[in-house]
Amino acid sequence: MRQLLALIRLDLKLFLCDRRALIMLFIVPIGLASFMGSVFSNSGGKSSVGGGMGILLVDQDVSAVSRGVVDAFANDPTFRVTVTNEAAARDMVLNGKRPLAVVLPAGFGADALPGLFDTNRKPVITLLHDPSRSMERSMVEGMLVPKVIQAVAQNGLSADLGRDFIRRGLTNLDRATQVGARDQQLYRSMMERADEFLATRTNRSLFGSAKGPTTGSPAKEFNLPLPFVTKAEALVKNTKSEYNGYAHAFAGMSLQFVLMSLLESSVGLLRERESGMFRRLRAAPLSRGTLLLAKGLSYAIIGLLSLGGCFAFAMVVFGVRINGSWPGFILCLVLTSLMSAALGLALAALGRTPAGTRGIGIAVVLLLLMVGGAWVPTFILPRWLQSAALVTPTRWALDSLDAMTWRGLGFDAALAPAGVMLGFIALFATITWLRFRWTAE
Amino acid sequence: MSDLLLDAQQLVKRFGPRTAVDGVSFTLRRGEAVGLLGPNGAGKTTTISMLSGLLLPDGGEVRLGGQPITGDTDPRKRLLGLVPQELALYEELTARDNLEFFGALYDLAGAALATAAESALKFVGLAERRGDKVKTFSGGMKRRLNLAVALLHDPQLLLLDEPTVGVDPQSRNAIFDNVEELRRRGKTILYTTHYMEEVERLCDRVIIMDHGRIVADDTLSGLKQRRTSADRVFCELVEVRDGSWLAGLEGIAGISRAELAGTRLTLHVTDLHGGLGRALEHLRRVDVVVASVESQSPSLEDIFLELTGRSLRDG
Repeated sequence: MRQLLALIRLDLKLFLCDRRALIMLFIVPIGLASFMGSVFSNSGGKSSVGGGMGILLVDQDVSAVSRGVVDAFANDPTFRVTVTNEAAARDMVLNGKRPLAVVLPAGFGADALPGLFDTNRKPVITLLHDPSRSMERSMVEGMLVPKVIQAVAQNGLSADLGRDFIRRGLTNLDRATQVGARDQQLYRSMMERADEFLATRTNRSLFGSAKGPTTGSPAKEFNLPLPFVTKAEALVKNTKSEYNGYAHAFAGMSLQFVLMSLLESSVGLLRERESGMFRRLRAAPLSRGTLLLAKGLSYAIIGLLSLGGCFAFAMVVFGVRINGSWPGFILCLVLTSLMSAALGLALAALGRTPAGTRGIGIAVVLLLLMVGGAWVPTFILPRWLQSAALVTPTRWALDSLDAMTWRGLGFDAALAPAGVMLGFIALFATITWLRFRWTAE
Repeated sequence: MSDLLLDAQQLVKRFGPRTAVDGVSFTLRRGEAVGLLGPNGAGKTTTISMLSGLLLPDGGEVRLGGQPITGDTDPRKRLLGLVPQELALYEELTARDNLEFFGALYDLAGAALATAAESALKFVGLAERRGDKVKTFSGGMKRRLNLAVALLHDPQLLLLDEPTVGVDPQSRNAIFDNVEELRRRGKTILYTTHYMEEVERLCDRVIIMDHGRIVADDTLSGLKQRRTSADRVFCELVEVRDGSWLAGLEGIAGISRAELAGTRLTLHVTDLHGGLGRALEHLRRVDVVVASVESQSPSLEDIFLELTGRSLRDG
C-alpha cells in the first residue's frame, strides 16, 4: 500500500511540475468551452446567430411594401443587411464575400397583394446565392415568408381591401369542394362577422402598426397562397460546370489533417532535439538557418503531397474540377502547405517541449479551423469573430482553394490570398527564428 | 604544420546562476589520446559542447588548428568528429541510410560517400548489418554505429563523450579496439568517461575535472608519481596466535599503518624498499611466518579520491 501511494504521489508531483500540462488540462478546456458556449448558446433570449448573417438586399421597387421587407430584415438581429444594387450584389456573392442576395423586383409592391389571390400575377423574388452556402439560403428563404406578409399587411391591406379579400375568399370557399359542410358553415359565419367589423373601419389600415412577425397560416384548410414566388440562382463564374460540394469539403478536411500532421512533425522535431540528435547535426558545418529551412521545406512537401493527393482523389472519385485557374490552384496549394509548415515550426518554438507543443498546437489548430470556416458556417459565429476570421491563415487558405475550384475564379483572385498567406509565412518564420531553442530545457 | 591541434583557454560557461565550466584550459597535440575524467555534473559534456562549437562559451576561447571556430558553418568543424553521449541515430532508417545522411552533411556525395560509409561500417564491424534498420540493433551495435557516424568524414580530432554507456562487455571491448586502432592511425582523441579502467587502457594523458574546474592534467605515470598516498602491501601469514607484535610494526620507519584481518596483514608503506624490508625483519623476530607478499600501487580511483575528496561514482 505504501508503495502504491508513493507511486501515485510521484506521478502527481511530476504532473504538477509541468506547467504546460496544467494549462492544457484546465485552462484550455475552460477557454474552449467558454468560447463554444458564447458561440452556440441562446442566453438572454437573443438569437443564436450571434453576429448576424451578412446578406445583401436589392430593392428595385422602392415601394412601401419593398421598404417594409427591407426594414423587416434590417430590424431582425439574425441578419446584417447591406442594401446595394444587383450588379454589386452579384459580384459580392460570386466572390464569396456574402452568401446570398435577395432581389426584390420592380413592381413587387403592386403585385404582392394581388398575388395573394391571383396565381398568375405573383412577383418573383430572386435569391442570388453562393452554392456552397445552402444552409444560409434555406434560412433566408424561410424568413422571407413572414417578412413579406408582414410588409404587405402593414402597407397594403386596408379595411376596404380586407372586405374585398373576404368576398374573394367566400367565392373561393364556394368552389372548395374538399372542405366539409360544417367547416364551410363555420368559416362563412366567421368571415361575415369580420366583414361587419371591417365595415365600421373603412379607409383605415386593417392591422394598424403590427409589432412582431406574423406567425402561422390563417387557415390551414383554406390554404391562403403566398403573395410571391422565389427563384434561386446559384452564382458561379464558370457556367459550364456545376457547384461540387466535395471541393469545399476536401479543402477543409485536407487542410485540417495537414495541420494536425505537421503538428505531430513539430513534436517529433522537439523529440529529435531531446534525443541529442541536434548535437550531432550542429557539430557539422551546418547553419541553424539551413537546419530550420530544411525542416520547414520537408514539412511543406509532406503537406503538399497530402493536399494534392486529397484533391486528386476528389477529382477522380467525386468529380471535383478546377474551374478556375490551374496555376492559381497550384500557387494556393503550395502556399497553404508552406503556411502550414511554418505554423508547425512556430508552434514548436513556442511550445518548447513536446508535451507543451502538442497542447498549445491542438488548441491553436482547432481554433484556426473552426474560426476559419472549416467546420461550421462562419455566419453562426459572433460578428467580432467573423471579423477575426479574416486574420486567420486557414480562412484565406480555404477561400483561395474555393476560388480556384468550384467558384471558377481566375488567377487574379488567387493573388490576394497568396499575399496574405505569404505574410503569415513570414510571421511564423520570424517567430521560429527568434524563439526556437537549440537545446532542450 | 603545428603539433598543436586544439587549444582551449579559460573556458567559462554559465547556466543561470550555476557555473558549469569555470576557467578550463588545456591543449591537445596531434595524435594524442587524452582522457577527460570526472563524475557526473563535473562539466565534461559542457566542455565538449564548447569544443565542438555547439555552445558558445561565456568566457575564453577555443582554437582548432590554430584558429578560433567562427560560427555554425566554419569549415574547421570538419576537423572534428563528435560521438555524442546520446544515441543520435534515426532508428527507422538502415545503418547505411544513417551514414549516408550524416555524410551528406559534410558534403560527401556519390562514390566518395558510399566508400566512406562502407569503410566506417567495416571499421565498427557492422558491414553485415548495413541494410538493417537501426531499431533492430542491440544497444552495443547502436553504440558502434554512433561511433561510425563520427568517422565518416575522416576527422583529425575525435570527441568521444562517454561512448560506452550502457553497453555489454563484448561491445565495450569492440569499442576499445576501435579507439586503439584510431590511435594507431594517428587520430587525436579526447575521451570523456567516468570509468577509470577505460582511461587507463586507452589514454596516455588524463585531465581530471570536478565542479567545472580542472583539478589535474598529467600523464598517468605523472599522476601516480605525485601522489601522497602510500602503496599497500598485503602479507598472508601462516598462523596468528595474538596481535601483540602489530603495534611494533607501526613504529618502523617507512610504514605508516598496519592492519590485521584474520591471517591477512595490510601494510601502508611510504618507503617500499626500506620500509618493507624492516617490517619483514620485525615479523621474523617475533616468529610470525609470512606465506606470501603482494604489493599494490594506488589506482587512478585513489588518485581521484585524493584530488577531489570524493569517489568518481558520487555524481
